[in-house]
Amino acid sequence: MFSGWNWVAYGFCLLLNFSSLQVSGGLVQSCGHIIPESPVLALGSNFTALCILNESCLDFGNIYANQIIWKIKNQVVPKEQYREINRTVSSVTFNDTSSLATPLTCNILADGQIEQNIYGIAVTIGLPPEKPKNLSCIVHQVSKLIYPMTCTWNPGRHTFLDTHFRLKYRWPQDEFPDCIPKDVNNSCTITDVQFFVNLEVWVEAANALGKAESDRLVLDPIEIVKPLPPHNLSVNSGILPTVLKLSWENLISGAVMKLKFNIRYRTIGDGNWMQVPPEDTASPRTSFSVQGLRPYTEYVFSIRCMKEDGVGYWSDWSEEKTGVTTEDKPSKGPPIWRIIDASDSLVSWTVRLMWKTLEPFEANGIILWYEVTVRAKSSLSGPAEKYNVNTTNLTLKLPNGTYEVTVIARNRVGASPPSVLLIPASNSKAPVKAVRTLPKDGKLWVGWTAPNSYVLKYVIEWCLVSNSSDCIIEWQNEPGSVQGTYLRGDIKPFKCYLITVYPLYADGQGSGHSVKAYLQQDRPSKGPTVQTKKVGKAEAVLTWNHLTVDEQNGFIRNYTILYKTVDGNETAVPVDPSKTEYTLSSLTSDTLYTVRMMAYTDEGGRSGPDFTFTTQKFGKGEIEAIVVPVCLAFLLIVLLGVLFCFNKRDLIKKHIWPIVPDPSKSNIAQWSPQVPAKHNFSSKDQMYPEGSFTDVSVVEIEADDKKSFSEQDLKPFDLLKKEKSTSEGHSSGIGGSSCMSSPRQSVSDSDEGETTQNTSSTVQYSTVVLNGYRDQTPVQVFSRSESTQPLLDSEERSEDHTGGGDGTIQRQQYFKRSSGQDETNTDRPCFERTRQITPTNEEDLLGFAQLQISGHSSQLLGLGLEKNIQEAALPDVLQTSIEGQTLRPEIMEGYPLSADEMPKSYLPQTVRQGGYMPQ
Amino acid sequence: GVVPFVALLLLQRRPVAGRALLVTSSSCPSHSLCRSNVQEQTRRQVALLNATAQDLFSLYLKCQGEPFSSESDELCNPSGVFFPAFRVNRTSERKEVMVAMYKLFAFLNASLGNITRDQEELNPMAKELLDQLHNTTKTTRGLISNLTCLLCKDYNIFQVHVSYGESSKGKRAFKKKQQGCQVLRKYVQVIAQAARILLPHLTPP
Repeated sequence: MFSGWNWVAYGFCLLLNFSSLQVSGGLVQSCGHIIPESPVLALGSNFTALCILNESCLDFGNIYANQIIWKIKNQVVPKEQYREINRTVSSVTFNDTSSLATPLTCNILADGQIEQNIYGIAVTIGLPPEKPKNLSCIVHQVSKLIYPMTCTWNPGRHTFLDTHFRLKYRWPQDEFPDCIPKDVNNSCTITDVQFFVNLEVWVEAANALGKAESDRLVLDPIEIVKPLPPHNLSVNSGILPTVLKLSWENLISGAVMKLKFNIRYRTIGDGNWMQVPPEDTASPRTSFSVQGLRPYTEYVFSIRCMKEDGVGYWSDWSEEKTGVTTEDKPSKGPPIWRIIDASDSLVSWTVRLMWKTLEPFEANGIILWYEVTVRAKSSLSGPAEKYNVNTTNLTLKLPNGTYEVTVIARNRVGASPPSVLLIPASNSKAPVKAVRTLPKDGKLWVGWTAPNSYVLKYVIEWCLVSNSSDCIIEWQNEPGSVQGTYLRGDIKPFKCYLITVYPLYADGQGSGHSVKAYLQQDRPSKGPTVQTKKVGKAEAVLTWNHLTVDEQNGFIRNYTILYKTVDGNETAVPVDPSKTEYTLSSLTSDTLYTVRMMAYTDEGGRSGPDFTFTTQKFGKGEIEAIVVPVCLAFLLIVLLGVLFCFNKRDLIKKHIWPIVPDPSKSNIAQWSPQVPAKHNFSSKDQMYPEGSFTDVSVVEIEADDKKSFSEQDLKPFDLLKKEKSTSEGHSSGIGGSSCMSSPRQSVSDSDEGETTQNTSSTVQYSTVVLNGYRDQTPVQVFSRSESTQPLLDSEERSEDHTGGGDGTIQRQQYFKRSSGQDETNTDRPCFERTRQITPTNEEDLLGFAQLQISGHSSQLLGLGLEKNIQEAALPDVLQTSIEGQTLRPEIMEGYPLSADEMPKSYLPQTVRQGGYMPQ
Repeated sequence: GVVPFVALLLLQRRPVAGRALLVTSSSCPSHSLCRSNVQEQTRRQVALLNATAQDLFSLYLKCQGEPFSSESDELCNPSGVFFPAFRVNRTSERKEVMVAMYKLFAFLNASLGNITRDQEELNPMAKELLDQLHNTTKTTRGLISNLTCLLCKDYNIFQVHVSYGESSKGKRAFKKKQQGCQVLRKYVQVIAQAARILLPHLTPP
């Protein structure tokens, strides 16, 4: 920076001087100058400058020293620092040059207060050089004969000035040219030095303010040599498998310097160097035999050197060279283990023998094959099975028993000591205790507590537990003296390992003790998928499946169920990790819940998918508690209604379907002149056998139909019989309403009636005495018919059809009524008769069909009658619709009946033959 | 290092009395550098020269080509060239040995300088030879420095008369090669003798 300012100052001064010259050579003459000219000042020193005016200016410009003004960089120096020495000389003094700046100008205040510059100087401020310190030198050998010497030093503080450093050196009688550093100020290299002569070396620093020298260093350059490392290193295998011979060339003459050496070596792949004892290589040499090496091992060698007496510097390490020792026989047998599979047979095992390849330092060469010997323990004297195997496993099928297995490894030189393994019938010895694991330094450490008995060695088995692959067993041997080891294998983080420790004894082995472990745990890959098993009003049973071992990534410490309503806070419930079901209680009914489940390892948890469910509106049994009483109440009401109706049936019947007199039961019907004798209506009785009659035992049937019922059915109607007898008592005698009359008697009656009918074809009046329906009180009505028109055939037919069985029965009644016998003894003949008749003719079948239909419509007998009367104008209606049912016409067509045999009823016949009989 | 010795050679070619001047020890130059290790340094220097002399001579012959490589015995016979007398033995006084050594190596230093100069001119591409000539010349210069120190420090001798013989400068190339060959052959012989003689005198007590 100072250097820059100097240039600026110089430029300024040149400009000033140039101006002064111009002026002096032209209009104005130069009036003075400053001494000292361009001074270099030490920082912090004092400084005085003088401005000397020319005499010529005194007269010409009337200028004197008391008018001089000193300025530093256009700033006026305080007057206190001025001193007027005489009328032409003015001085200015600065007690500390640190306040000084460049340029320093001498100015004068001329007439008219016009300030004019007289002269200016550039001031350079800096520091003298410090004494260079810490001078040191080293001689680097660069070739066999060239030894440049480099010296370095501490140049000291910055001087703000151009400071030159020189490295000076000399012999007692000789001076050498100085070594001048290039581009640096703290080191210099002397291209060539001479050994065995004391050399005095020092550094001189100089600038405008002074010089400084470092302390002088007197040395023989041979004492500070850093030689080149030995070259052309070669490694040759010796006679012994544990020796390698190194040879090299030294690049420095023994006459110049005697050397000592360091030899280091390592095996390939090993980063740690071993070193030959220094005392073994402390003398000058060009070869060395390294002993104590491992057979058939590749070693890397490197060498360095320095002055024999240790004065100076070690060379760099030479280039590395490799060599391989020769083979030796294997030093130990391969570690051996087995897997016994006893699942195939009860009497034999499948034994998979496994052994590990020997480490190179144990194999001492290339293993050519393994010799496996299996000998039954029970017959040690017997012949042993021998196998030569190139691989490291052998599967044998052996009968159950105890065996001694030996494995020997062979290379070109010889055989290893045998490795022995006992395969016991059972692991009956003491196991290890307290197997534990600990991840440490990226490896999995397994520890155990040794059993009390002496253990020969331990076998540690482990395998990766996974859903996607089988448990592939890996193992390793450990000596019996240890109680912990690191697993030597590719142990992966976040994977579950099943580790088993077996103690091996001299006479057997102990059972294994297992533990599961992780090298490193992580959060589970996913959370459990929860779902509901059962949802109630206030509770829900949740189920889930355990995470697979591949998903766990660690030991599942606990589950947490998180559930919430749509707008509610989430509730967390911790759950034991062994469970797969949990019941959420105290839920709100008929509410949508979202539930999820988190599984936690030591490293954290992960949530499974959300599951939603809605609680039920009613709880268990609530619906039943409501529905059942309602149904019961309904049934009770219906039952009461039925009972009420039953009790009030007369009244209901009276109002709903009043009793309409049945013309067929009228006394005038008894007058029917023709009774078809061969119209055996009794066949219809056959159609109602006792057993089947219950189907048509409609309660609405008239009391006269009782004869169609079985006796059992009729029992409840005994009372009716009496009443009927009573009603008959009220009959007019024109015709009984009793059905108990014998058909035979009825036939005779009808004959009589026919006769009567023939006597008169018109009926003026008739008195009909009706029997009461069942327990109804018969109403005796005497009605008068003013009609002279005979009843339509269709009406009669219709009545037959609509009346169905009734009509038939009524016809029977008609016959019975004609018998005029006592009712009390007519029941039995009626039923007896029924039994005796066999339905053998087709007419009976037709009658049966008709009866069935009639039976169905019997309840509407009275109404049907009225209806039939209304429809009597339809003369061609052969089929009568009753309650929507239609008689099948083919029946009618298939069995056409003659006019005499028409079974329709008696009434049509009666009508055809003369209509109503006159009373 | 050659130029000063050439000047010294020219200077010494004038008839100068070959006697040492005795001075007080305080007037020995750079006394601080004349340390106890100078004796050992001197012995190591002589040993170094002795160890490399034969190689230097062989390389020189090899680089000069025929007839030097095949007829070195005849061409390089040192009898025809000036070489300072080295008439000391193991029983000689140490001071006498030191002075003789000084004369010998002062002469060798000048002669090696001349040979190096001639070879730089005649065989500029013979780098190995030139390097060895340079290195040997440097060693002799260091040896002179040490001998000066020993003479001055032990015997207050700071000046010794040295005869240098005839310079090869201006001679023909063959003559330059032959003179160099003759000097180097004699050098091989004398340096071995010097090494043997000097050893007991420089062994630390």
